[in-house]
Amino acid sequence: MENAMVRVEGLQKSFWDESRGEVHAVDGIDFDCRPGEVFGLLGANGAGKTTTLRMLATILKPTGGRASLNGHDVLAEPEAVRRSLGFFSASTALYPRLTGRETLEFFARINQYPPDRVAERVESLIDRFGIAEYANARVEKLSSGMKQKISIARTIAHDPPILIFDEPTVGLDVMAAIEMQRVVGELRDEGKTVIFSTHIMSEAEKLCDRIGIIHRGRILALGTLDEHRQATGQHYLEDIFVHYVAATGAGGGAAAAIGAPGPGESGQ
Amino acid sequence: MNWQDVWTLYRRELRSAFRERTIVVNSILMPVFLYPVMMWVMFTGLMFVSGLADRAHSRVVLLDAPRNHPVLMDTLENRENVELRDQITAESAVSLIRNGELDALVEFAPPGAEGDELADNFQVAISYDRAVERSRRASDRIEAIVDNYREEWVDSEAAELGIAGADREQFRIVQENVSSDEQMGALLLGTMIPLFLVLMVALGCFIPAIDSTAGERERSTWETLMTVSASRLSVVTAKYLYVATVGIIAGVLNVTAVFLSLGAIMAPLLAEAGDQFQFTLPFLALPVMIVAAISLALFFAAAMMILASFAQSFKDGQAMAMPVYWLALLPFVLGQQTDRTLTPVIAAIPVANAAMMIRDAINGVFLWPLIAETLVVLLVMVALCLMLARMVLQFEDLLMGSFDGSFWRFAKERLLNRNGKKTAGAKQGVV
Repeated sequence: MENAMVRVEGLQKSFWDESRGEVHAVDGIDFDCRPGEVFGLLGANGAGKTTTLRMLATILKPTGGRASLNGHDVLAEPEAVRRSLGFFSASTALYPRLTGRETLEFFARINQYPPDRVAERVESLIDRFGIAEYANARVEKLSSGMKQKISIARTIAHDPPILIFDEPTVGLDVMAAIEMQRVVGELRDEGKTVIFSTHIMSEAEKLCDRIGIIHRGRILALGTLDEHRQATGQHYLEDIFVHYVAATGAGGGAAAAIGAPGPGESGQ
Repeated sequence: MNWQDVWTLYRRELRSAFRERTIVVNSILMPVFLYPVMMWVMFTGLMFVSGLADRAHSRVVLLDAPRNHPVLMDTLENRENVELRDQITAESAVSLIRNGELDALVEFAPPGAEGDELADNFQVAISYDRAVERSRRASDRIEAIVDNYREEWVDSEAAELGIAGADREQFRIVQENVSSDEQMGALLLGTMIPLFLVLMVALGCFIPAIDSTAGERERSTWETLMTVSASRLSVVTAKYLYVATVGIIAGVLNVTAVFLSLGAIMAPLLAEAGDQFQFTLPFLALPVMIVAAISLALFFAAAMMILASFAQSFKDGQAMAMPVYWLALLPFVLGQQTDRTLTPVIAAIPVANAAMMIRDAINGVFLWPLIAETLVVLLVMVALCLMLARMVLQFEDLLMGSFDGSFWRFAKERLLNRNGKKTAGAKQGVV
């Protein structure tokens, strides 16, 4: 894909664990993402979604393969990668003793948003997410719904071209989850590249333009929902997912049989 | 490293810190109020207890009281704080003293062979329990009464024999304190300020060091911080400077508070007790104290942050950083020897050297080569800590908080690799 904002080629992450020995958390995955696209990583808990996204966010260092975001290599230019990226996950909490306004200002500044435009940016985010009423209250005093809005706003505070949402709706109530999905849709419409990981099938069906099915550190299949339906003969994503996972359990060569992409290919 | 990023991160740390009650209490309020108030309470309490002890009656049994010394007997009987009990045997009296029911037994006896030339001479044996304050005090009281009486009696006997007091007296000991009030003040300041400064700098660093490492993990803000575009070095530098800053603030505030309270609270109280103190500082003592506070803060901040960074929670962090806090008590070991100054050996002992350097400065003693040695030793310790921190941060599992163990386990397994365990994949480097 020529205009890819995110390129992942043969990405690997292995580590040594006392009880399990050598663990291959991510075992050579490939995918690309383009602007204005929501790319979904769908997998069960422990499939390697979070490890993959943490490597893209330069929180973890890959042990093999390569990845670049907005043209910056994750190993060679980690700071430039993070400048191009907004990262949101269940474990990226807010500073409880800062106010919402201070939070947005801090994240805009530290992620190199032009200093003379920070104040203006903060106000526009406050307007956009409707948080003016409690923008000057400390985060620790806010409800979880209010915190979530501020958390999303801080993710995009520096207006990055790429956004990663790692299981963003985990633990949220229905209304908050819907709000999150709405924001992700808006960001796609603004031309952002969005990588969205989830284990909730309906969410992936609703939001993602393309979906990569990840299992035991490998991408089993990658394509649009229609392409997955055609490849598996299943209609619902839940059944599609089970089909792919069952195929890997049936024996070797499963990835090839279901059309998993090679390095640098999108799978389409 | 981008200093603009460091400044942004540093301001964020400070802003959060000064909104945290634990940090404000430990690093600001305690240094300002606790020790001055504690000193006042202690001194007032001591005076009060001493007053109570003065008023307490001493229960005394006299055995074989000399009949030819009625004045002494009258004095003992009429002294307000001496209560004479009925006569009992010496063994019973000693038993009562041991049980705390009696304070002293006073046994009068004829003089030995050398003293029987003087008519009506006698000797006194006082039995008391040294382990009991009230009993000790009773012994002192009786001894003072008998001593005074003896002086007067010997004077009158000598006069009757036509011997003048000056002829009888062979020599007299007269004590005179030649210290000025300022020197007495310096003695007190030199005893208290170094200890408080070291303790307060350590206390000031303690909570922020844990809050900025283990606290971040506990609040789940660590991963948020790892995703900002600032370099890891900028993040760690900002945290380090923040912890050291709070330590310095705590130290300086405490010294100021102690200095002012000694003048405003202690001096009047001491004057009431008959001691004159004037609290002033040599001009050069101030910069020496500030440099010492900065060096100590840099050391404590680095050492505490390294240990606390292994903790998953604030509580674990407190336990892990505590050994460094105990180092702050080292000056107390040397604190009792008030006549000692900085020596090449003491200047080589971290923390204790800074305390001694401050004490010297307060006393107007500036041993510049040893001051330089002290600062070099402290800065070498800081450099060692920072090098260690750099090594520690090379390990990804530690950076991400997934390493399960303390610094000591880490050192054994990773730095020394003593048990030969495979650690491949753990050292991933800082991205």
